[in-house]
Amino acid sequence: MATLAPSHHDTHEHHGHPPKLVYQPALPIPNGKLFMWLFLSTEIMFFAALIGVFIVIRFGAVVWPATHEVHLSEPIGAFNTFVLILSSVSIVLALEFAKGNQGATAKMWLAVTLALGCVFLGVKAYEYNAKFQHGIYPWYPHSRVHERPDVYFGSAVRARGNELLAELKVQPAQPSPAGASQPTEGAAEGAAETETQASEKQAESGAEAEAPSKPAAAEPPSEEAVRRAGIVSDLIDQAKSTKETDLALLAAKIMPMPLSESHAHAGGLNEEESWLKMPVVIPGGNMWASTYFLLTGFHAIHVIVGLIVFAIMLTMQFNAANAGIIENVGLYWHFVDLVWIFLFPLLYLF
Amino acid sequence: MSHAPSAHDDHGGHGQHGHEHASHDHGGLAKYIYVFVALCFLTTLSFLTYSEYWPKSLGSHEVKRLFMMAVSCTKAMLVILFFMHVKYEANWKYVLTIPASMMSIFLMLALVPDVGARVHGMFGYGGKYSAERMEYVGKRRDVDAMIAATKAVTEQHGDHEAGHEPGSVEEAEAVQKGEAEVEKKIK
Repeated sequence: MATLAPSHHDTHEHHGHPPKLVYQPALPIPNGKLFMWLFLSTEIMFFAALIGVFIVIRFGAVVWPATHEVHLSEPIGAFNTFVLILSSVSIVLALEFAKGNQGATAKMWLAVTLALGCVFLGVKAYEYNAKFQHGIYPWYPHSRVHERPDVYFGSAVRARGNELLAELKVQPAQPSPAGASQPTEGAAEGAAETETQASEKQAESGAEAEAPSKPAAAEPPSEEAVRRAGIVSDLIDQAKSTKETDLALLAAKIMPMPLSESHAHAGGLNEEESWLKMPVVIPGGNMWASTYFLLTGFHAIHVIVGLIVFAIMLTMQFNAANAGIIENVGLYWHFVDLVWIFLFPLLYLF
Repeated sequence: MSHAPSAHDDHGGHGQHGHEHASHDHGGLAKYIYVFVALCFLTTLSFLTYSEYWPKSLGSHEVKRLFMMAVSCTKAMLVILFFMHVKYEANWKYVLTIPASMMSIFLMLALVPDVGARVHGMFGYGGKYSAERMEYVGKRRDVDAMIAATKAVTEQHGDHEAGHEPGSVEEAEAVQKGEAEVEKKIK
């Protein structure tokens, strides 16, 4: 918007100056900073949508798992908060040193920010891995979380059990529940034998070995395979029940509900036998997993973008003239920190 | 107002205590450190609701959550005002932040009668899930059943022995006891 200096057409005055045009900027900040703030306001909307949906779903849900039921650790979340706050401080210090024409120090603080961001992502990856180990994924079929110990859970346990038995190359135990104990005991006895004699013993017990169908190529099932097959057959038998009390007990054996926050690991078969990967029951667990992975996943994507920008900036030289770049990237990074400041209590403490 | 570059370019790692050495931002760097300390304090404060220092009279969930949100908003305002330097910016900051914040709050409020009323309903509106649909949803009683079952299992196996030997009398008795507890919970 240009303002015209008053022009005098009086014949008395001969200024000889052309009218002065004075351009006023719309905002007293550089274009880059204005853009970054506009972009941040769209990011506010983006995360407001996600966080708003989380709040509404969480408080409108029929049942929601407690943090210890989904193996969420508040101290780890608090550590991540601390790391991000530290990284906000370091980027601000980088800006201050750049404005003071101390480019090397500024770059050092940029590198510190990058390192802290990588620490954050590393801790997040560790947390995600802990969820995956317990079968908590954001979607099926990876997700092994069931809402209730019902017949669908039971059939999922049997399906996984049959899959495992096929992998172990051991035939499933005979159908009748009463008879099931005997082949398994036979397998237990077979485990006590030496491996070379195992195939003969199992042919005798008649339930476990596949030796007739794979004569020469198959090795006799090892002790470990027999032991595992025993566990799996046992679970399959328990999963045949249609009573929810039995299935709740089965679910508690596979992954018991941690009874308080003081111990995150209540043990259970899935944990003792990491190859088992049986379905688990966490009431409200699937909705929890969806919202948790959505919120933290999008936040982590924003962190990764920030880290890429920091890495690019480390190839540049900084001084008071181009400190605006650090300022703008710093604004973005502070926003990422802000989002985490809200995500942490919502996800970990509520 | 800036230092001679050559004197401090190799200052390297001592920058963090360098607010005595820094130039025009002599008070500025100290301010960031104070804000950082305040943020750390507020973060630990958010755990206060779970500790024994939390006044018992304020024990309800809603009060705790309100307190945690207040702590979060305070931390957010500290980051925005000081780290993002908004305290020292001109009036354009209101033009950008106020409409965006209003829209965020309106969005959340708008979702309440939509998604928020889907399950339980509110003021006679919503709660449209059919009884059959609700069969598949995990419920509080399922959590209680799992907890009872967990307690039954942990009473049987002291150290969570791997594997089971079905058919042992001990196991059958323990399962019966666990079953009885779980039935009580479900009914």
